[in-house]
Amino acid sequence: MALDLAAVSDEALMVLYANGDPAAARTLTLRLTPRILGYAARILGGDRAEAEDVAQEAMLRLWRVAPDWRQDEARVSTWAYRVVTNLCTDRLRRRVRRPATALDDAPEVASGAAGAVAGLIEADRMAALQTALSALPDRQRQAVVLRHIEGMSNPEIAAIMDLGVEAVESLTARGKRSLAALLSGQREALGYEDSE
Amino acid sequence: MTVPPKTTDPAAGDDLDLLFAAAAQAPLLPSDALLARVLADAVTHQPPAAAPRPALRAAAARRPGFWTRLAAAVGGAGVLAGLGSAAMAGVMIGFAEPAALSMVTGGIYETTLDAVDLVPSFDPFLTEG
Repeated sequence: MALDLAAVSDEALMVLYANGDPAAARTLTLRLTPRILGYAARILGGDRAEAEDVAQEAMLRLWRVAPDWRQDEARVSTWAYRVVTNLCTDRLRRRVRRPATALDDAPEVASGAAGAVAGLIEADRMAALQTALSALPDRQRQAVVLRHIEGMSNPEIAAIMDLGVEAVESLTARGKRSLAALLSGQREALGYEDSE
Repeated sequence: MTVPPKTTDPAAGDDLDLLFAAAAQAPLLPSDALLARVLADAVTHQPPAAAPRPALRAAAARRPGFWTRLAAAVGGAGVLAGLGSAAMAGVMIGFAEPAALSMVTGGIYETTLDAVDLVPSFDPFLTEG
């Protein structure tokens, strides 16, 4: 009997994969890879090639752990995000340490030319967000992205980042305040002035 | 979703929420090459299809027994029990030769039933009426 895998949970798919079901591998790949790729790219400052390496490595670890996976142990997505977070942290540490970015040093997102401002498209806004995110400390960036872009709950983020829930709340609050400050001078450039 | 924390500039906070929402709805699509690599890894590390569990395999391999097949052939265990009872009753009647039965056979043959003539030379029923 054909099973509709679209309705099957990640955890059940892991068991099916471990039992040799090839369709489960494909479903898990298509379901998880885009999510962890996007997360890795945001944490790594938009470096797509590096994010792809991280995503592939995280999925590889997922395949390896599948035979020992216990359905009641953890959510697959939480586990995958945790692996990606650790892999990204390792890569960020290996990078040349950059000087701490003060708010005044926040990079300019777009030119101030009036014509260019009016013509900014969504991609520019995303680039501005990425630039501002990259200016945050790593842990704040991880917490903010998980909370506000990936839509994770605070307990899930706590499990991913190996922190307490209160620490997560503090990180996301501080991170969001910093982002707002970084972007506050660029509201016009981001095209929000005309919308009000 | 919980209420977002207040920022130094409420308007900037609203803009930020709009940016977050836009970012959440614009996922980074993986390239075909990446998906192919991930799937190749999956195939490489996937355990072979699991064999049926021993209990299931034994149950599947076990053929129905003689009595099960016989009962199925005659229409069920109840029918088989009835057939067995009738056969036993026949054997017992043959051995015991009860008086009641001798009266019946005596009325026909006017003697005790010592032997059964399987190929009778005449049929007493034909002589009647």
